[in-house]
Amino acid sequence: MMKGNVIKYAQDNVDTDVIIPGQYLKVHDYAELATHAMEGLDPDFHSKVKEGDFILSGKNFGCGSSREHAPIALSHSGVKAVLALSFARIFYRNSVDGAFLLPIEIEQDAYDGISDGDEIAIDVSLNEIKNITKNQTYKMKPFSEIIGKIIAAGGLFKYKPDQD
Amino acid sequence: MGKTLFEKIWESHIVVEKQNDPSLIYIDRHLVHEVTSPQAFEGLRMNNRKVRRPDLTIATMDHNVPTTDRSLPILDQTSSVQIQTLEKNCKEFGIKLFDINSPNQGIVHVIGPQLGITLPGTTIVCGDSHTSTHGAFGALALGIGTSDVEHVLASQTMWLEKPKPFEIRVEGKRKNPHAVTAKDIVLSIIKNIGTGGGTGTVIEYRGDGITDLSMEQRMTICNMSIEAGARAGLIAPDEKTFDYLRGREYTPKNYESLVDSWKDHLKTDGDAKFEKQFTLHIDDIAPQVSWGTNPGMTSDVTESIPSPDEFSKGDSNQKKGAEKALDYMGLEPGTAIEDIKIDRVFIGSCTNARLEDLIEASKVIKGQKISPNVQAMVVPGSQMVKKQAEEMGLDKIFIDANFEWREAGCSMCLGMNPDILSPGERCASTSNRNFEGRQGTGGRTHLVSPVMAAAAAIKGHFVDVRKMDLS
Repeated sequence: MMKGNVIKYAQDNVDTDVIIPGQYLKVHDYAELATHAMEGLDPDFHSKVKEGDFILSGKNFGCGSSREHAPIALSHSGVKAVLALSFARIFYRNSVDGAFLLPIEIEQDAYDGISDGDEIAIDVSLNEIKNITKNQTYKMKPFSEIIGKIIAAGGLFKYKPDQD
Repeated sequence: MGKTLFEKIWESHIVVEKQNDPSLIYIDRHLVHEVTSPQAFEGLRMNNRKVRRPDLTIATMDHNVPTTDRSLPILDQTSSVQIQTLEKNCKEFGIKLFDINSPNQGIVHVIGPQLGITLPGTTIVCGDSHTSTHGAFGALALGIGTSDVEHVLASQTMWLEKPKPFEIRVEGKRKNPHAVTAKDIVLSIIKNIGTGGGTGTVIEYRGDGITDLSMEQRMTICNMSIEAGARAGLIAPDEKTFDYLRGREYTPKNYESLVDSWKDHLKTDGDAKFEKQFTLHIDDIAPQVSWGTNPGMTSDVTESIPSPDEFSKGDSNQKKGAEKALDYMGLEPGTAIEDIKIDRVFIGSCTNARLEDLIEASKVIKGQKISPNVQAMVVPGSQMVKKQAEEMGLDKIFIDANFEWREAGCSMCLGMNPDILSPGERCASTSNRNFEGRQGTGGRTHLVSPVMAAAAAIKGHFVDVRKMDLS
């Protein structure tokens, strides 16, 4: 169970160039990278984000570049999960493979129901999101079997495929 | 039931198959560049792992290399470190590198095909989303992140959820193929299906509108598959494909026997089923200009900027997106696209910086000067493209028109090197992304074809290039 507050970007197509602009792809210090997270969309992000926060957004989150710097910058800002109506596939895999954050696909009810600042709790074992602020519950889309195993293992390099 | 081309390539590369879950796929070619590889090599080092198949791994430096005089030191320290790190890693792990002084250096998606490294029926990965470009040769080519780069370096395999096959048919004949280009076709497709229209799919482009295209034009189409959200885009190989790859530096010695097997195998069967389908008729399509902050926000050059209501067709997030985009782009609904004045022109990127692109653009500017208010540059996609263009005298045409003629690299497509827009500057760009800040903080990008970019440089604004003599 993860609990935290939501930073909501009520839009589709949050792209990797706004999550971490190209000029910072030369930065190898993750703490420094984090200071530029979301800079292209929300220059206040770094000052307002707290350890354990979640990002909520619309369709096609993380579209664009394959830069793993995007989930890294969010993760090192304290973001534990991104909840979105859909994800661009490379961002999704980067988030899981490097164990940076959980990409959680949600339905329209969660997108509409959760507001900026709401406190929510995510229970991946039940595929459930509880909105503590509003006392509502929504379903999340379950992870596929191997994605779930990679997440449980703590990333691609800790995951040991079954010998079956 | 028959199989699609994608399914045939997929099935011939399965190491471990899982239903409704990622399968483990064998990778035939791994292309590496300086930006998404350092942490992957570091991971190998920390775990005492080797590169499993250095002979199938090829590296170059493209994303942050300067495009100015290469005999001078690189001023940006962090770029310099990243470039040196790639040199060191390639040496340590035994990987072939085309470094900054190599005649084969260039954008990874330009040099792969040019060197005959890209082959039909293969799986190709690279830590770059525009890897989809190589699909033009009938390869399954995927962009991946750094964790997967490390996984492929270590194992020559990756876990991949099986994408769904998506058929996009391009039908008809363009009346003026010099003015209405492959770029206009792919922008029209994205405008219609949206930036998420291809999510979770591999697009196969088919139809006479595709087979009519040259290999370089097909690469422009496949390159932008990712802008529609697709995992990859591909085109079945044909004689044009086989001719293009024949006799290149790294083309395999048994090439002709490979061609024979590809001819039989690498095509979608007549009774194969696609899970999704879209058809674009191109007889009457116009040159395209993007006006917003994603490639789906695109209109005909003869149209005006749509209002957010017109654009969104009732979708509230689309409407908000359009409002935000117009604010960022400094544009008003109702403004004719031909009236938009530009400050900069960038002819370059893995989408449109090949020899044909430069030839077509040079026809527009030959004997003319760019508008005094415009600053324009050409960044060839590779040093080989640059050399070929110079042998044809294209550099002289561009320089005489007051274009800057640069060394090869990604350059202003993604603003990692000094080639960037200043805040508020408006650019006609032949690249692939018009995201906020993509070409520099506050920069405003309009995605266009090389011909449109060249015409905009001369006129200072967008024009209907169909009215120009481009023969």
